[in-house]
Amino acid sequence: MKEGFRQAMAWLHTWTGLLFGWLLFAIFLTGTLTYFKDEITHWTQPEIRSHAVEPARALDMAQRYLQANAAQSSTWFIRMPSDREAALSVGYRDPNGGRRGFVSKTLDTQTGQPVEARDSRGGEFFYRFHFQLQMPHPFGRWLSTFCALIMLLGLVTGIITHKKIFKEFFTFRPGKGQRSWLDGHNAIGVLVLPFHLMISYSSLVLFMYLVMPAGITAHYGNDTEKYFNDLFGGDETPAAAQVAAPLTPLPALYAKVQALQPGTRVGNIRVENPGDSNARVTLSQSAADHVAYRRSANWTFDGASGALLGQGKPESGAMMTAFSFAGLHMGNFAGPWLRWLYFFFGLAGTAVIGTGLVMWLGKRQLKHAKSSHLPMELRLVEVLNIASMSGLLLAVASFFWANRLLPATLEGRGDWEVNVFFISWGLSLVHAVLRSGRRAWAEQLALGALAFALLPLLNALTTERGLGNSLQTGDWTMAGFDLTALASGVFLAWLASKMLRTPKVAAKRTPRAARNAATEPAEAS
Amino acid sequence: MLGNALIAFAGFAALCLAMEKHFSDLLGRKPRPGQLKALQVAGWLLLVLSLVLSVHLRGWAYGLVEWAAVIMAGVTLWVFVLPYQPRLLLKLAAVSVLMGPLLALFAV
Repeated sequence: MKEGFRQAMAWLHTWTGLLFGWLLFAIFLTGTLTYFKDEITHWTQPEIRSHAVEPARALDMAQRYLQANAAQSSTWFIRMPSDREAALSVGYRDPNGGRRGFVSKTLDTQTGQPVEARDSRGGEFFYRFHFQLQMPHPFGRWLSTFCALIMLLGLVTGIITHKKIFKEFFTFRPGKGQRSWLDGHNAIGVLVLPFHLMISYSSLVLFMYLVMPAGITAHYGNDTEKYFNDLFGGDETPAAAQVAAPLTPLPALYAKVQALQPGTRVGNIRVENPGDSNARVTLSQSAADHVAYRRSANWTFDGASGALLGQGKPESGAMMTAFSFAGLHMGNFAGPWLRWLYFFFGLAGTAVIGTGLVMWLGKRQLKHAKSSHLPMELRLVEVLNIASMSGLLLAVASFFWANRLLPATLEGRGDWEVNVFFISWGLSLVHAVLRSGRRAWAEQLALGALAFALLPLLNALTTERGLGNSLQTGDWTMAGFDLTALASGVFLAWLASKMLRTPKVAAKRTPRAARNAATEPAEAS
Repeated sequence: MLGNALIAFAGFAALCLAMEKHFSDLLGRKPRPGQLKALQVAGWLLLVLSLVLSVHLRGWAYGLVEWAAVIMAGVTLWVFVLPYQPRLLLKLAAVSVLMGPLLALFAV
């Protein structure tokens, strides 16, 4: 039997969407949270206060601290505080200390002394999860990149399948069961399509060296570091000369960068062989300075004399294209308003996947509306839908609850927050298996509503930085997190109440639905 | 950015009204001859105007990105609020036609 091109595409859309939808939902939701990575970290480490500080002063503080505590170390790292990041982070290699021989500290930008903040991954956890999926390297990256490919495929096949893309461009008809789900799915997909296409295509660009490494390995073999050095103009650092030479003051190097390119914000600083005559200092431009994520925007100085040794290579057209896709994906350049829009478009992507999963099941459930039990395979999809969507929301909420409730002295506290995340996710799966579909949805959404809505209260009770304080002192990051949690709670409560109130959509919509069905036959999805 | 957002929002409102089905649903009457065409032209002109202003004010890199963001946000707001608050959206579109260029003008 020969089927049409559009039917074939619809089939592909339906089945790849189902198989990868659950994972894609999690990738999109955690990726969306990542647009507020620094803000989430700010909330999860309330001990770190933000103070306005001159970059030169911050650098001076970092240098003083590292000189006093890590003079023998081979490498120092400094991460500057910014509008979004309160912390001045310093790190250094120390063969005898820390995890994997690396020590990192957070300095208070007023005193220059380390802050004893609670151990938490914060926003970094969601960021890492959304492309590594808590799997060993490189499998998580491969799988998530493959999911991005499926998303791109889903978008293209979706466009082909969608018959009335222009005729129904402005169409959303709520309160009509399956029809409304399809309208919603199509509308969020089409209206935010530039974002969806950008985000899935750029994921492939971000990991192109991982998924299509043949060109690189043909020239460089296994020495991929040399490839990146050649590409981005990184210099080979000479070995320490074992001749002591005081490190040039870092604020002076910062001033040199400002003279070369006024207004530059510096993100990271790396010092090799500090205190040696072969010291090298590399200052990298903050990713917030350009739309394109320019990995080669850096300046390398001789750490002993303070002479400028090299600047990142000028970018070719191909590199700038790749950097632009990377920059658009990550949105480091976005100010507060654009960041919020990024966040909402991310939620839109999540919603496209979620509505698709719900529709797949809804269509097939209609055929079994009379019988009391769903066939095995549909029940499996139902359970996975519930656990992957409302279950994930519960897991996210649990992560934040664990952040406030786990004792600060607990060994491996940061790991335990992550454990709580996965344990809650697992429990929600068990719950979805035990309860009937609608009840499971309603109960998990209601619990999620409570968990999110009460987060501001929990914050106020366990820290001194609740809404009362944050609104008064103008700490908009803290207040923004609390208010967003509250809004999420209200939204989930609304969803839960919809699940509780209308046991059968069909009964309520009969008159209008019947009239509709006569005039416009539902299209294939 | 707000000025451009309002102009783009008004542009999409005009493009939506340029479709006969939406015109009669929203305004409760049949369009006069030529009216739909005029709305269509006006809609596209508003969208192009917001693009030109955005690039002019913010440069190519930021201008293009912000323009893409505000038009997506504007049209999504329009489509999903329309079934619930059509009158409010029509008023908002009318205000946007006036306020958008005004705000964009002051931002220069």
